[in-house]
Amino acid sequence: MKEININGAVMQCYPLTAAQKLHNFTIKYCPLHQILNIGTGLYVKQEVDFNLLKKAIYMAYERFDTMRLRFVEDEDGTVYQYLVPNEDRDIEYRDYSSWKEEAINNELRKITAVPFKRYNSPMNHIIMIKMPDGYNGMYLKVDHMTMDSSSIIAFNRDVLEIYCHLKYDMPMPKPMMSYFAQVEKDLAYEADSAAKKKDTEFWTAELQKDEPMYTDFTGMGRLLTQRREMGEPDLRSAVITSFDPTAAISVYHLEEEPSARLMQFCIDNNVPMASLLLMGLRTVLSKFNNDEKDVSLKTCISRRGTLLEKRSGGTRIHFFPLRTIIEPETKFIDALHIIQTEQNKIFRHANYDPIEHTIQRQRAFKLRPGASYESISLTYQPMTLRQNAPDMPDIPYKSMWYSNGVAAQPLYLTVMHRPEDNGLNFNFEYRKDAVTEYEMEYLYYYLCRVLFRGIENKERTVGEILELI
Amino acid sequence: MIDKIKELICNYVEADAASITEDTKFIEDLNFTSYDFMCMLGDLEEEYGITVDESDILNIHTVGEAAEYIEKLAREK
Repeated sequence: MKEININGAVMQCYPLTAAQKLHNFTIKYCPLHQILNIGTGLYVKQEVDFNLLKKAIYMAYERFDTMRLRFVEDEDGTVYQYLVPNEDRDIEYRDYSSWKEEAINNELRKITAVPFKRYNSPMNHIIMIKMPDGYNGMYLKVDHMTMDSSSIIAFNRDVLEIYCHLKYDMPMPKPMMSYFAQVEKDLAYEADSAAKKKDTEFWTAELQKDEPMYTDFTGMGRLLTQRREMGEPDLRSAVITSFDPTAAISVYHLEEEPSARLMQFCIDNNVPMASLLLMGLRTVLSKFNNDEKDVSLKTCISRRGTLLEKRSGGTRIHFFPLRTIIEPETKFIDALHIIQTEQNKIFRHANYDPIEHTIQRQRAFKLRPGASYESISLTYQPMTLRQNAPDMPDIPYKSMWYSNGVAAQPLYLTVMHRPEDNGLNFNFEYRKDAVTEYEMEYLYYYLCRVLFRGIENKERTVGEILELI
Repeated sequence: MIDKIKELICNYVEADAASITEDTKFIEDLNFTSYDFMCMLGDLEEEYGITVDESDILNIHTVGEAAEYIEKLAREK
């Protein structure tokens, strides 16, 4: 911890955690600083008392530390973080009730694409909105260095529950927990702890294995071109970075009934939904790349286990490569168990600094700058607004995610539960130079085919599924 | 062992320790995620100086099964 004088006040400042350094690293190399913006909307289908909503938002600001988190750069250029004691900015209100939905989405996407001032300035923006069709609620934009999707869902839920408390006299939600208490734990881990040594051993051993194989979600084209250009017919990695990070989000909605079937399969077979999704994606990648057996994906881990981790906000996502080598004669259920075991191994070592691992991997396999073995990153977000909230009234509501227009990775898939029916939404954030919307639809179609062919007969082999789809 | 596991469970999810039994299921009854479960096993590894095998874990669904597995590892240490 370091004391820094900020506008005449001495503030207790903490160094960034590994998860934050990851975002700080991105911003250093991406000229478009809105890359870290996350724009969301939460709207309920009922009349809203906006004065009361404003009061609920201020109360949530007070309870939720990372909504008051700011950054500062010291004299050496090192970035630190600190909390301001309260938030007194006015909260804007906009009436979009006479607008078309597409125009509203465009407007909110534009706002999402405006970068935050990085230092000594608020890192979020809330607008209360009256929508058409009787929906009302709020838009929230945050900087990813302060919040991730779990934090956003927790904050939105807090506002909603506080509003219900004020309006309907429902119980106040449980208090949030201290963000800096969690940061202290994270920094203690990073300071050469025994746990870090164990994780270092694990990731070092992973790099002793043979080289993985790059598989692209549009097929072999990228790898074959780079093999030709480099004059290396056995090249196994591909450069996936781009000078044009322009991006968009396409959302595909899997209906309530088929989503429930996938969830039931997971319950019946004691398999996490994330493993099932990884199995689906790796099989599609295999299909698109000449039935390749060696497929790697980037898995994003929210790292929210303890109650302190779950209730202290902040940004905690770490990503790591998940490599799967699955023979075609492997049964679907056995392949799922292989993935589940690999995932469990990663979970146990997920506190390790992902940038450190990326750098070590670059060195181990002598990768070119920007080269990788993974074309897709996956996050499964199990947290919903209604989860463990028995007092929440049964009001229809919808949630939205707005693109900031920029992405560092070619394709980032986030799978979340829809609040209204618990069906699954597949949010594909993709770089426009890497894939078209049509190719995205094609990928989603094949992903669903693999998943449903697999769950309808778990004894089917991977090879049979590849032939069937 | 059961009491130790109950105590740890309450660090991960909001649960009433008194209502947890050997038959309580981690996922269905306690809303544990696999990440929660792996982290809790990490705590037990540290506490008892043991090492769990990821492929064994796939067969553990209840608090009683977890206790039995950890006790076995502690005995074999």
